[in-house]
This record gives sequence, C-alpha cells and structure tokens, in this order.
Amino acid sequence: MDFLQIVVSGILLGGVYALFATGLNLIFGVMKIINLGHGELMMLGAYITFFLFTEAGVNPLLSIPLTAAVVGIFGFLLQFALVERVVGQPIINSLLLTFGLSTLMMGVALNLWTSNYRSVNYTALSGSWHLGEVAISKGRAVAFLISLLVTGGMWLFLNRSTFGKAIRATSEHPQVAQLCGIDIRKVRYVTFGLGSAMAAVAGALISIIFTISPEMGRMFIGKGFAIIVLGGLGSYVGALLGAIVLGVGETVTAYFTSTQLSEGVAYLILLLVLVVRPAGFFGKAED
Amino acid sequence: MSPLHRRSLVQRGAAIGAGIASVRGGHLFAQTPVAEPPSGDPIRIGASVSTSGPNGRTGLYQQEAYKLWEAQKNAAGGLLGRPVEFVIYDDQSDPTTGARLYEKLITEDEVDLVLGPYASGVTQAVAQVTEQYGMPLLVAGASANSIWDSGFSMVFGVYSVAGDYFKDIITNIALEQGYTTAAVIYEDAVFPMSTGEGAVKWCGEAGIEVVHEESYPQKATDVSTLLTKIRDLNPDMLIGGSYLPDSVLIHRQAKDLSLECKLYTYSVGAAQPDFVETLGADADYVLGPSMWEPEVETPGNKEFFDAYVEMFDREPDYHAATGYAGCQILEQALTNVGEIDLEALAEELFSLEIENILPGGYKVDETGKQVGHIPLTVQWQDGEKVIVAPTDIATGEIMLPTPPWDER
Repeated sequence: MDFLQIVVSGILLGGVYALFATGLNLIFGVMKIINLGHGELMMLGAYITFFLFTEAGVNPLLSIPLTAAVVGIFGFLLQFALVERVVGQPIINSLLLTFGLSTLMMGVALNLWTSNYRSVNYTALSGSWHLGEVAISKGRAVAFLISLLVTGGMWLFLNRSTFGKAIRATSEHPQVAQLCGIDIRKVRYVTFGLGSAMAAVAGALISIIFTISPEMGRMFIGKGFAIIVLGGLGSYVGALLGAIVLGVGETVTAYFTSTQLSEGVAYLILLLVLVVRPAGFFGKAED
Repeated sequence: MSPLHRRSLVQRGAAIGAGIASVRGGHLFAQTPVAEPPSGDPIRIGASVSTSGPNGRTGLYQQEAYKLWEAQKNAAGGLLGRPVEFVIYDDQSDPTTGARLYEKLITEDEVDLVLGPYASGVTQAVAQVTEQYGMPLLVAGASANSIWDSGFSMVFGVYSVAGDYFKDIITNIALEQGYTTAAVIYEDAVFPMSTGEGAVKWCGEAGIEVVHEESYPQKATDVSTLLTKIRDLNPDMLIGGSYLPDSVLIHRQAKDLSLECKLYTYSVGAAQPDFVETLGADADYVLGPSMWEPEVETPGNKEFFDAYVEMFDREPDYHAATGYAGCQILEQALTNVGEIDLEALAEELFSLEIENILPGGYKVDETGKQVGHIPLTVQWQDGEKVIVAPTDIATGEIMLPTPPWDER
C-alpha cells in the first residue's frame, strides 16, 4: 500500500516537472538553444501568482492565464531583443547569453523580493483526498491535472493548428520551412513566448504546492535538463514521459534508500542515458 | 547581578528612547540626558552577517541589532568614552566568504574587536580565522554544538547550544503527555543536524523510542516520501531539525499526506511570524524552541523592543535579540577590562556572569559554551504565539494533543 502511495506521489510530482521540461524542450526543438534562464521564467510566474494572491487576493488558479500571458509576452520580447541574435550561432553563445539572463533575473528578484522563502497559502488546496489508504494531495493532484491540460493543449496546438505545424516544421528543418513560406523568425518569437508561458504556469503551480524563492530556478533547471535528455532532445512526448520517470524515480529512491540520494537521481539518469542511449526515448541521433 | 549593574541598565533604558529619537531627528546629542559625547578615535568592531542568500532574512535581524546598539552607544557616551563604529559586510550565507571577510576585517581593516556572524556553518568557518589571530569571538548568531567541540580557546556562546533546543520539549512536555515514540528528521547542515542529533540523545535519556531518524539534503523541495515512511510507523511526535523553509515544507506535506502526530516541533520557524503567515491555521499546535520573546522580563528588554521598532519599523525576532545580547556582553566585558586588551578580554569573557535581554543571562563553561541562557518553548494557538515553558515565564497553557488534520 505504501509503495502505491510512493508511486502516486512520484507521478504527481512528475506532472509539474513535465510542464517545466516540455517548455524547455519546445524552445530547444525550434532554436537548438538550451535556455538556461528557463528556471527564472518559472520563478517569475511563481512570484506573479504569489503577489496577485497576497496583495490583491486573486485566486491562484484563476490567475494562471494572466500569469502565463504576462510571462509569455516577456519571453516573446526577450527573443525579439536578445535571443534571436544568437540563433544559429555556436552553442556557447546562446549558453552564455541565457546564463547571463538567468543570473540577471535572479539577482534582480533577490534585490526586489529578498531571499525569503514564501508560498501561496491557498487553503482550499491543502490537505488530501483519500483513495483507500493512499492519500492524494489536493494541491499536487490539481497541479498535475493542470499540467496535463496545458501540455496536452499545447500538443494539440502543435499537431492540429496551422501555426503549430509551422513550429514543428521549423523545428524539423528550418531552411525548408522558410522555403515553404513560413516566417521562421516569427515562429521563433512565438515559440519562446509559449515556452516561457509554460514555465510560468509551472511556477504558479509550484507556488501553491512548494515554497518559492528567487533561487528556485537553479534547483529545477538541472532536473529539467536531465528530463529532456532522457526523453530525447526536442521531443515533446519524450519530455512528458521523462518527467514522470524522474518523478517516480525520485520518490522510489527516497523510499528504498534516503531522501539524500533521491536528489541525485536526475544526474544519475543523465549519465546513464548519455552512456547507454544518447538519443533518449524519442530523440533522433545526430548524424 | 550586582545592583550597580541593574542601575546602569535602567539608566541606559531611559537613554535609549531619547537617543534614538534624536538620531532620527538629526540633532544627535541634543536631548541625551546622561552622558557626554564620546571623543577620540572610534572603537571599530568588525562583523559579517548574511543579509542575502538563504539565511538573509534571519541574518538581517542580527545586523539591525548591531546597528541599533551602535546608534545607542554613540548617543549615550560611547564605549570607554570613545565612539563605536561597526564595519559590517554581507557574507551571502556562505562560510568561505565569511571566513575571508573576517580575515579582511582583521588584517586589512584592522578592526579593534569582532562580533559573530549569522548561522552555524559560517560561524564554524569564521572561528578558525578569529582564533588564528587571537581575536575573542562572541557567537551572537549560532549555536551548533560542533563549534564548541572543535577545541577553540576564545569562542563564546551567547545562547544555548543547538543540541539542547528540544531538551525541554522531550524531557518535560513529552513525558508529561505520556508520549513514547518519536520520528526525528533533519537537514544535513551543521546547525539542523545538531538540533536533530540532540533530539535523539534527549529521547534516549527520556526513554522515548526514536522509530525513524533520517537526514535530508539542503534545499530539498520534496520530503513527501520521507514522511510516508514515518506515517507507517505512526509516532507520537514529529521532530524536525530544520530551518524556516523546510519547517514550512515538512508541515505542509505532513498535512498533504495525512501524517497524524500528537506533537509537531521544528527547530527554526515555529517561533517566527513567517511560519504562521505562510501556514495560517495549520500552524496551530506546533511547538518550537525560542531563544527570546518580547514578553520576557529581563532588564532592558522592553526598551530594546521599543527602540528596535522605532528604528526599523518592524518587530525584532529572537535573532535580533541574540545579536543585541552579544553587543551587551561585549560592552560589559570590555568595560570591566577597561582597555582594548584581547587576552584580558578573553579571560574576562570566561569568568563574566551577567544578565542581558535573553532569559537566564550569560555564563559559559570552560570551553566557552553558553550554560546560563534558558531557551523557551513556544506554541501557536489560534494564530498567536504563546510561551508554554518554562512555567515561571509561560504566558499560557500548553494545548496538546494536536487534533487530526480534518478535525480542526
């Protein structure tokens, strides 16, 4: 029974990881850029939710669309003003740029909001539902469902809508996409915006179930990176699956060994995948 | 405590309000009734305190306490008749940075004296440096037992060691309530480990069985699995050796998992207003150790509280009080010695026994470990912090056992 509880906790945890990692992977797919500032975009979403809740009393679930829009537009502008300049250049340029952005955003947040740990005390989502002996945390269950909704919705958008197909086309072969009349520059702006918005939603959900601080992004970016390597760089479904594997991997490891070791699972996975199957679940091996 | 000293504290108390008001008003000595203005070269006191990084929040209280005392001294005649000047840096909650800054304070800035940094990890690293330069260190912001187990010869505690934080809760409260089992979890940093290992030791002495003991990494974002293991063992008490963010995380996830204990206690957080602000009604019934509370009737305490609120527009927590107490002790020891003589000062700090704003006052053993101070136990009741032990200082009755989560 206990083991079931552990697996359920792991899957719910994985849902939030998924939202974070799929956004990261979406950006990588289209631009071949590892966005090291992704964690800080998530942090931004968390703080917007926090301040809307504490200062204006806005329900943290209802504020999600607004938070996503604000951070999404911010991401769009970042791409327009900065990131666009390093697309197609050696990977070190984009790594340096996004690392700089990450440090800058974290520093500004530390200055504005201090390093205090805070969280949204949304009482309607504290406590748990009981299924037999398994306690399902309300906050995590709702976060999981919203994660699924957003990642699922994004998947439909990418596969069904014209613009979504343009994003995928740009991801698969930018030159051909351009020849077919796709404005790949616009695709890149929108993709970075969408990825940022997904990070912001993840941040909003994390502010409800965990504690937040300006440095939270750094804790998640390593895990996010492990997830997309496991799932396959650029693969949307792969990131979703990788996230669940990491979530369950962490809780099961914590159960059988210790919480200490579980924090290393992400990096162990990263190592194993790179040695055994560098392309991950669904990635394509480089030529 | 001598009557003479009591009088001087009362006088100082009277001077505080006026002194602060005049500092704020811009005419520094205009209304100060007692002392002549200090003259000569300032006595420079060095310190680094974490005002950024994970411990920045709590460290800021300590830094503000130093500044309050500096302003008060300068408004009331200074120290040994000389003005006081603090040289304060921010170590960003990093032990290596802290050690480097004290080295800089002593060798480059050439300060006359130092006061301790915030948090045990930083203090442990800093003590190596101050010891090396023969500089006595009053530890105003740390309490890990390991600091006094390291064989330093001039490192002095201001408040109880971390290993004793849960002593009263385990050996008195738990036994009175008839609790027989406990789970002890703690973060793997110097201070939380000291509190957690201390809890295990006191459980052993009290005959309480520790059914689960486990550490978790710093910055853990999820302890739900750890708590699931504990839920299976159904202990009477959950004891967390944790800083504020983890205390919040543990308590919140305990609720999420319906981990039902009769008593919950955490080493840091349970005494902080942030704890109840974050958790709301769920903070009720949680017990925690506190080194100081505003209600404690120690000499000068009320004046300290009022002056602090006046100067910083917010109430001090115990980290401000321990910082201030460190200043008071340094002041008394230096006054007794009469000049800046580091060896004599260290000797004086070993033999000194005085009251300060902390309950129990100052008294150290032969290693420099604090033995005079009496930690308090507080409990949240309907969103209010109540002192429940020791009984002669208590402001209310303890409320136990904690009801199940869904019956609150």
